[in-house]
Amino acid sequence: MMAFYFSRLVEIFPFFLTGLWMTTKVAFISLITCTLIGFILGMIRASNNVLLKRLVGIYVAFARGTPFVVQIFIVFFIFPEWGLQLEAFPAALLAMAIMGSAFVCEIVASGINSIPKGQWESAASSGLSKMQQLRLVILPQSMKVIVPPLVGQYVLLIKDTSVVSVIGVMELTRVGWVTVVRIPEGLMVFALVGVLYFSISYPLILLSNYLERRMAI
Amino acid sequence: MIEFKGVNKWFDKLHVLNQINLMIPKGEVLVICGPSGSGKSTLIRCINKLEPIQKGEIIVNEMSVHKPTTNLTKLRAEIGFIFQQFHLYPHMTALQNIMLAPVNVKKITKVEAEKIARQKLERVGLSEKADSYPAQLSGGQQQRVAIARGLAMSPEIMLFDEPTSALDPEMIGEVLDVMVSLALEGITMCVVTHEMGFAKKVADRVLFMDEGKIIETGKPTDFFDNPKTERAADFISKILTH
Repeated sequence: MMAFYFSRLVEIFPFFLTGLWMTTKVAFISLITCTLIGFILGMIRASNNVLLKRLVGIYVAFARGTPFVVQIFIVFFIFPEWGLQLEAFPAALLAMAIMGSAFVCEIVASGINSIPKGQWESAASSGLSKMQQLRLVILPQSMKVIVPPLVGQYVLLIKDTSVVSVIGVMELTRVGWVTVVRIPEGLMVFALVGVLYFSISYPLILLSNYLERRMAI
Repeated sequence: MIEFKGVNKWFDKLHVLNQINLMIPKGEVLVICGPSGSGKSTLIRCINKLEPIQKGEIIVNEMSVHKPTTNLTKLRAEIGFIFQQFHLYPHMTALQNIMLAPVNVKKITKVEAEKIARQKLERVGLSEKADSYPAQLSGGQQQRVAIARGLAMSPEIMLFDEPTSALDPEMIGEVLDVMVSLALEGITMCVVTHEMGFAKKVADRVLFMDEGKIIETGKPTDFFDNPKTERAADFISKILTH
């Protein structure tokens, strides 16, 4: 019995590796875009520009307040009606960027807001421009507050990539679905899927814990 | 050098600055005192636009501070501001704190900025603390680094917002000594403080505020020994018994 399981496992394993590779690609690209967009949005959200702040607020509320799977459907099935037709892979990346950047935005904004007003005033009164105040004085201090939850958010984002399977991206979860209809060892298939996800998210969990301990004052 | 023309400011309904007219000539050392909530901190915070005003005009070196077209960077580079709570940048050493504005606002080289920073640290008697972080310094030392940081921009004006109020008594002297030496150098200073000794020693003029208004101004000896108004007399007797 074990031998049979094992031979099946060896047989399907390469297929799973291609799924893992796709998951890693979606996750990696998403983490970068979410971080970049999230930081920009977070800075706007913590700024004094009332109009832009509101707009970002609405965006964040929408992105955080609706299920990710619904957002993917909107990007993949509704955007084409508005003239933006995307393949499954770029559609998945776009949906991830919309959802993830909203979460990163909130983490960055609360990090910036955690810095006492006196630091802004002190930097402003020495003649630094608003951007310089942020870049040289505020952000370096906020990173302590931002980084631990940010890495935690990365773990969530990696797991959320599994949702893009619904529009047919051949990533790990999708590979699991496709395999399980062809062979009867369902438990083994999804156990393998789980283990592979764990192998990329666990190092980040450890990193998050470590940073939280190190950055605690 | 600094001129207030009919300045008014409200925090919601609270009238914090009520029709302020004031002229501070170059080189003057002005001490501002008054009970808490009288608007004295707000008054000096308006000079470099840390606070907006609703009516009137403030002119510093021929620049109208609150006009939207005024080059705020240039204005602020000429004015040093010292806070009650120091507000040093906690992620930088004393030296880096002092170098930040010269390098990024005046755009001088790092080598040159470091030279100036070391000079200013020596000026406040803290040469040996160049590589210390703010958390490693006492309150008095932090405030002296803050003064060195302000001086590094070679400002024509220094504003002090209760610079010794957050300090333990034994550290007040070291900060006041630095301020006295600045005053004697002829730099224009506005100091919000209740330190009568400092006022008597170096102030050219004392300004007494209450409820957002300037109640009385005068030479320090006249003001402290023979206040003209009852409110000032009452205030002086309170800080004396304190």
